[in-house]
Order: sequence, then structure tokens, then C-alpha cells
Amino acid sequence: MADLLTSRSWLMQSVFAALCMTIIFFHLLPLSTLPGQWPAPDILICLAFAWGLRRPDYVPVLLLAGVMLLSDLMFHRPPGLLAVLVVLGHEYLQRRTAGLREASYVGEWLAVALTITDITVLNRMVLFATGVDQAALGPILIQMLMTIAAYPVVVLVSQALLGVRKPAPSDGDGQGGYG
Amino acid sequence: MARDRSQREDFTTPLRRLLIGVVCLCLTAIFLVWRIDSPRVERFRAQVINTIVPNMDWAMAPMTGAINLVRDFQSYQRLAEQNRELRSELRQMRAWKEAALQLEQENARLLDLNNVRLDPRLTYITGVVMADSGSPFRQSVLLNVGARDGIRDGWAAMDGIGLVGRISGTGQETARVILLTDAASSVPATIQPSGQTALIAGDNTVAPVIDFLENRDLVRPGDLVTTSGDGDVFPAGLLIGQVAADPSGRLRVRLSADFERLEFLRVLRHHGVEPIATPGEVVAPVQGAAAPQLRPEADAAPGASSGSDDG
Repeated sequence: MADLLTSRSWLMQSVFAALCMTIIFFHLLPLSTLPGQWPAPDILICLAFAWGLRRPDYVPVLLLAGVMLLSDLMFHRPPGLLAVLVVLGHEYLQRRTAGLREASYVGEWLAVALTITDITVLNRMVLFATGVDQAALGPILIQMLMTIAAYPVVVLVSQALLGVRKPAPSDGDGQGGYG
Repeated sequence: MARDRSQREDFTTPLRRLLIGVVCLCLTAIFLVWRIDSPRVERFRAQVINTIVPNMDWAMAPMTGAINLVRDFQSYQRLAEQNRELRSELRQMRAWKEAALQLEQENARLLDLNNVRLDPRLTYITGVVMADSGSPFRQSVLLNVGARDGIRDGWAAMDGIGLVGRISGTGQETARVILLTDAASSVPATIQPSGQTALIAGDNTVAPVIDFLENRDLVRPGDLVTTSGDGDVFPAGLLIGQVAADPSGRLRVRLSADFERLEFLRVLRHHGVEPIATPGEVVAPVQGAAAPQLRPEADAAPGASSGSDDG
């Protein structure tokens, strides 16, 4: 049983990595080189949080850090900054929801929204403090809101299609370690 | 099950905290190193992209093609309307073609009269657009030609008509073109017919802003904007676009290149302009050892100047 579970978690880790690569791939498609379009939501962050809150063993820290660093490099962002913020946000969310075993869905969404906002603000502040050129505030705010809005969709798809759910109490005392 | 449980308990163990701490420290260190020594990390970034993106190309090209096909199909729905538009445009074009032919002949005649020799070193390499920047805040594309093909940082990239951007970051097989619309792009330009010089600065919109214009009154919407060659960034005289005024009265450039669908780009080989260090020697040769020394300097300078263009 234990072997089955670990092999499943290995499988889902590779599914997570593959999904992230697919998202990066679609971002890179040269479909439109015109500027001034609506920024798309950052699905990578949604995916990391949605999976990490449900099954932390599917999203190990090293994998998450690697994927975010790679996306930083590929998307021409300052390398490492968003990655470190997402890793920290991921940890914060896990600690925070660890106590709320029966956290309602809305509560989770609020926590995630708060974390995404924090990440955006911190990202901007650090970039400002280190004197890096930044994009205009408007599109970044739009992207942040779109990311928050996309989170429930990502959760739904993950739950319905990929079966990423919180382990139910009947799965043994899987969540006992949290409390 | 027991193993699963022990994995979960890991979340609170100091070991896991240590791991997170180390990971965060590493990422922060990468960011700081990037901030301090940007060119080195950017080279590393170019290498990473150079290893990953060409491997994706087998899937990227058909995917882009398929999505564009669907988009084209949507536009077929208004085929009749488009046909009518095209016919009227074609009539206009015929008139323009006549005018252009006449002008071409006249131009050739005048060039012949003046015995003008066009710059023979302005040759180009054509590359295919493989990927874009992937972020809505950066405007750049990735070409499938790189250092292997002799591409250097700072060279100009054009589509068939106008300037598109400049090379910034070359891998072995790929090169990144920072588009004119990117917020980090600024290009010295001349506005004809007034001859005013200005800086064309991208601001993440379709039309870049005209900055540092000396006398605004001399510039009118519709004027031609070309590169000036100042700062030895680009060769002079490349077409950028036309002046246009936005609703708030700010002058912008309507770009000539078709940014909507960049597929093939020409990268112009540009080895810099030979510098004239001491103007006196242009007028008359000076006595002594100064004259022989000039040549090696002039030969070495183009390599040095194009090397310092990145950043």
C-alpha cells in the first residue's frame, strides 16, 4: 500500500512537471507579437498552489523551485525573484491551512488571493528597491486579478480531471501530521 | 500507509525547514548575482533557452500553424467583404506601382549620375521566429539563428519593410530580438523631411513614443522616421515608420514592419562605422608616426564597438 502511494505520488509529480512544461510551451508560442493585449493569468502559480494545498507530496519544494526558476529564465523575468516568492507563498499557505482542516473552499480562495497579492506587491517592492526597470502597474494588477480569478478553474480541473483531492479521512490518518 | 504518514510529518521537521531555507537562499542568491553581474546571468539565460526551445520546435511550429489556421478560418467567413476591399486596394496599388517604377528609374539615374556606391557590407541573414517572450510585459522574439551563424548582439532585425528590433542575447543556435515596442528599447532616429533627431522609445504599446525631440513644431504626423545611425547602434537610414499623434497629442511612431505576424526576420550584418579619432587627419595627413598607427586601431574598433552593445 505504501509503495502504491509513493509510486502514485511520483507519477503525479511528473504529471505536475509535465503540466508546467506545457504551460510554458503555450506561453512561448509566437501567436501574437503585438503588445498591449490583456495579460494572461499566471496559471503556473495557480497550479502550484492548488496542488500544493491538496496534496503537498505532489509538489515537492525542489520541483516547484526548479519549475519557477525555469519559467523566470524562459519568460525573461528577473531570475530567482518570483521563484523564491512563490516557494515562500507555497510554504505560508501550507502552514496556514494546516490548522484549518475543514477549511471551506471560499476560505481557501481568500487565503490564496491574499498570497498572490502579497507575492505581486513584494515582487514589485524588491524590484523597486534594487532599481530594476518594471512594467506599468496597470497590466500587472490586471494579471494579478486574472490569476486570482483563474484559481477556482484550475482547482476544478485538477480535481475533476486529474483527481487531485485532499486525502479524505477514510484514507487513514493522512492529515494527522498537520495538526 | 506508514510511509505516507511519515512523509506528511516531514512538513514540520527541521530538516524540511532547512531544505526550504537552502532553496530560498539559492534563489535569492541567483537574483542578487543577476542584479550585480547581469551580462553573465543573461548569457546563462540565453544558453538555457538555447538548449530548451529548439527541442520544443518540432511541436511549436505545427501548433502555431494550427492555431493560425483556425484564426484564418474565422476570417474566411467574411471572405466576400474582404475580396471587395482587396480589389479596391489593388486598384490603388497599381497606381502606386506605376509611381514607384518611375521613381525607381529616376533614383537609379540619379545614383548613377552621382556615382554613389551603396554600402556593400550591409548584407543580411534571415531567421525564422521560433518563440515569443512568453510574458505580456516583455516584447521580444526568438530567432533560429545564433552565434553559429555569426549573429552578434546589437545588430538590427528587420522584416521585409521596416525595422523590427535589435539582437540582444545570442545563444549558439538562437538569438533574441528585443522588439521596438519593448519598454527597454530605444533607437536613435531621424525624422524626415525636417531632419530632426529623436529617440524612439518603446513603452509596451503598439506605437512607440518619440522622445527627446528638439523642435516639435517641425514634425508633423505622416513624416518618415528612419534610423539615424547615432551612437553606432544601427546603420543609418533603415525605415522605422511614420509619425502619428495619439489622442493626447503625444507623438508616436506607427511602425512600418508588420508586428501582427512576425515570421521571418532579416538580421543586418553591421560591423560598425570606422571611427575618426582625430579630425585633423581627415583634412590633411600629419607628419610623423601618427599615420601608420591609425590603421590597426580602425580595424580593431568595429569588433570592440559591437561587443559593447549588449546590455
